[in-house]
Amino acid sequence: MTKVKLNGEEVSVEMPKEEFEKVKELLNREPTITELGGFDVMWSEHCSYKSSRPKLKLFEDAEANYDYVLAGPGEDAGVIDIGDGYALAFRIESHNHPSAIEPYHGAATGIGGIIRDVLCMGVRPIALLDPLRFGRLAGNSHAQWLFKYVVKGIADYGNCTGIPTIGGEVEFDDSFENNCLVNVACIGLGTIEDFKHAPSRAYNPGDYIILMGGSTGRDGIHGVTFASRTLTEMSEADRPAVQIGDPFTKKMIIEATLEAVKTGYVRGLKDLGGGGLTCATSELTGDGNTGANIELRKVFTAEPGMTSYEIMLSESQERMAFIVKPEGLETVLNVFRKYEVAHAVIGKTDDSKVLKVFDGDELVVNIPAKALSVSPTFKRQEKRPDYLDQLLAQPTPEPSKQIEEIIEMLIASENICSKEWIYRQYDHEVGVRSVVKCGDGDSGVLRIIGTNKFIAASVGVNSKHCYLDPYEGAKGGLVEICGNVITTGAKPMAMVNCCNFGNPEIPESFWYFSKAVEGMNDFCRSLKIPIVGGNVSFYNEDEVTKTAIKATPQIMIVGLIEGYENVITLPFKKAGNDILILGETKAELGGSEYHSVIHGIEGGIPPKVDEDKIKVRWDFISALYDKKFIKANHDVNKGGFIITIAEMCFKNKLGADLNLSRYNANDLRDDELLFSETVGRFIIETEPASLNDILLLASEFKVSVTKLGVILNQPKILIKGLKNQEISLDINKLKDLYDSTIPRLMDI
Amino acid sequence: MTIKIAVIQFPGANCDLDAVHVLRNVVGVDTSLVWHNHFKEANFDGVILPGGFSFGDYLRAGIIAAHSPALDEARIMLKDGRPILGICNGFQILIEAEFLPGALLQNESLKFVCKWVNIKVINNRTAFTHKMKKDDVLAIPIAHGEGRYYTDNLKELEENDQIVFKYSTEDGSFKSEANPTGTLENIAGICNIEQNCVGLMPHPERASESILSPKQTTHGRIFFESMIDFIKRRLT
Repeated sequence: MTKVKLNGEEVSVEMPKEEFEKVKELLNREPTITELGGFDVMWSEHCSYKSSRPKLKLFEDAEANYDYVLAGPGEDAGVIDIGDGYALAFRIESHNHPSAIEPYHGAATGIGGIIRDVLCMGVRPIALLDPLRFGRLAGNSHAQWLFKYVVKGIADYGNCTGIPTIGGEVEFDDSFENNCLVNVACIGLGTIEDFKHAPSRAYNPGDYIILMGGSTGRDGIHGVTFASRTLTEMSEADRPAVQIGDPFTKKMIIEATLEAVKTGYVRGLKDLGGGGLTCATSELTGDGNTGANIELRKVFTAEPGMTSYEIMLSESQERMAFIVKPEGLETVLNVFRKYEVAHAVIGKTDDSKVLKVFDGDELVVNIPAKALSVSPTFKRQEKRPDYLDQLLAQPTPEPSKQIEEIIEMLIASENICSKEWIYRQYDHEVGVRSVVKCGDGDSGVLRIIGTNKFIAASVGVNSKHCYLDPYEGAKGGLVEICGNVITTGAKPMAMVNCCNFGNPEIPESFWYFSKAVEGMNDFCRSLKIPIVGGNVSFYNEDEVTKTAIKATPQIMIVGLIEGYENVITLPFKKAGNDILILGETKAELGGSEYHSVIHGIEGGIPPKVDEDKIKVRWDFISALYDKKFIKANHDVNKGGFIITIAEMCFKNKLGADLNLSRYNANDLRDDELLFSETVGRFIIETEPASLNDILLLASEFKVSVTKLGVILNQPKILIKGLKNQEISLDINKLKDLYDSTIPRLMDI
Repeated sequence: MTIKIAVIQFPGANCDLDAVHVLRNVVGVDTSLVWHNHFKEANFDGVILPGGFSFGDYLRAGIIAAHSPALDEARIMLKDGRPILGICNGFQILIEAEFLPGALLQNESLKFVCKWVNIKVINNRTAFTHKMKKDDVLAIPIAHGEGRYYTDNLKELEENDQIVFKYSTEDGSFKSEANPTGTLENIAGICNIEQNCVGLMPHPERASESILSPKQTTHGRIFFESMIDFIKRRLT
């Protein structure tokens, strides 16, 4: 908090004193209290990206470099052209701070916000995905409470609006104990025409500005500045800064908005989120090179007596701003009347390039429309943390347990076990598009009705890997999430990210952000994946304990599949078929589940990404798909490849007879070979008749492919060829362990 | 003779477009999506009340929609024997509007549950089941938080043959593990005494295309084909 003198009175603002001086300089006078509130919010970290913007410039050229990218970073959502006249919009953002205080409404309004971001591209929201982070659940009632109500918040909101939640990801780790992460992603589908109808700009003077949806109340005022501070014990007092969601109104807004866009009379569209009416009107006019007159008393409020400051800054949920052609005003209003959604014409655009807001006769805001979006940027210091050398040097202790016991402990561990408890609560079928459902593939797959196209989407990253090496960890996240999409038969089309980090004013925390951004950028450039949007959440740091979260640059990938015959799922299909592993295993146990669950350590050497090898491997898989050689495909992830194989056995109650003697080129210890989390590996099922062709193709592509064994008709995994012993695992027992962990902890 | 079906769009319905898609594109019948206030029974041979959260289900699932003028129109259809199907929230509305007896309570787990289940055909003489065989087991998904059927008059329901579907295992037994919500006697769907009005919690519109079904089944389609056939017979 800074105290500044405003027109003779002392006021508290969030912005530093230098920024207050810059506001005065911009306006050439002292701001009014409403104007100052607007600058305070719009120049906050959350709205202005002032710490991250210099770094995020790396991402800015997707629209220029990829002809199928219709909208890139800086828009409310990224948009790509998927052919046949259809456009796909998607975005991911964080709702961490509100969810840490009030998990149910925090998560629900996160969903509400991300739906609006996609809706304001003029397309129908058709899918949600939610990557989450909490403290460890076992014996931790606080983490259980957050987890239970975050999931319920997402479920209640998503289910009611009729948007299926088709995927997500969760990790439980001590570093998220006081700063849980709730990231929310939404995908929208529409025609390219729909998208072109609804730019987030008011570029034509003389159009009407309509506010539609929920009424404007005192909830959420200063929600934005709140999200740009670290949480303290005082944050409980911020509870009124968490908004309340109303999914029913949202559903009405979705239908009314889409019908209004279809009339052809909507010339611009923007959702009201962080920064409320201030943000929406200034961005619409600023980006459209116009100005506007707004009459504040036309805004319908939830309670009487609200000041102009409160009305302009309220972050009440479920509101949209429409820019409407004068000749279409009645038609659009009639749509809103049909859906019985509240609405008001609050002003008109003009060519003044100035945003004027009148409270009755009083002019309370009179600023250049672009002024609010020219926030200062900060060049933050970055420094590699000193503790890393010691962590990276941590060796893997000799295991004191039998391999069987270790596998059983791993498969029952919170980060590896089944997440069915979560996705059963999400309606993942509504919309009749879900072709590959939760649990059956590494990605959800949706059909595009009326075409033979399918989209696959997945989200996630490994926070433990990023903690040890944010550059390689972010790249590894991309390898994994692209891999998730590839295993279902899709080609990765575009990426959006949500960067969750600590306090950017602390050089060690900013170093993590900076390295992760560089990792994402380098990988996406060499693998030709456009980055079409992102969101940054800083200050995920506990002021009392001085601990930051493990760096979590969440990555979401959307991929495209042409033809139903090319959609692949992960369960093993047929006994007698071969089990192949693609990619070699290295001694990369740093940040592995094996280290944390079995040895209680976090260090070691984390996986490193070789982009050239990854690229060839993806091309190779694509060649195998073309020849229809792959019957099942699953990417190797937490816990190593035996866990992957076990997961593939579960659904059809099959087993695996494995001999690893030919799969240990690097002469690893048994535990290194089995539990290493080397990224970019795949387990695939193929028919014995195609093995020779596959191996020939592999030598052509120069990729490492090894036959590990065959699928068994009995529910057990036999492992021969290890250094120490032969191993036999009971699939039914593993499945019980896999399924029971979260229900046991949560359904008490 | 063209058969015309209405899918009622209550505010907050969210399976309305799914039902329209299946009726038009899969079953191939002339179908209109009708805003609840605009619905006129005279134009239609049958009506579907789709799933969703009508009016947010804020007061109690289905209770506000039950007072929509659309239900007054539908009541005329109920009396003259035209087919009425309530799916999920539509079933909740039919119960609240007293087209069907009983109540739908919150699931025993207190959680929303979305999964594919099996239901067994108990009554195959209704407007929506007469192309099924008695004891057929159908694969179909559920997705709801308030689907635990309850009635004080189970005996009456049984005597009148009003139980249309019960949750079962794949091989047709009524074990408790086949009951996803704790619903009374595994009841998944019921009908009125005249058998032209059926309500059920599972979603036939999500089970009508093999591409959406884990086992490539299309059992949901039989509901709509039965309805069309029922209408044709009524009209001739």
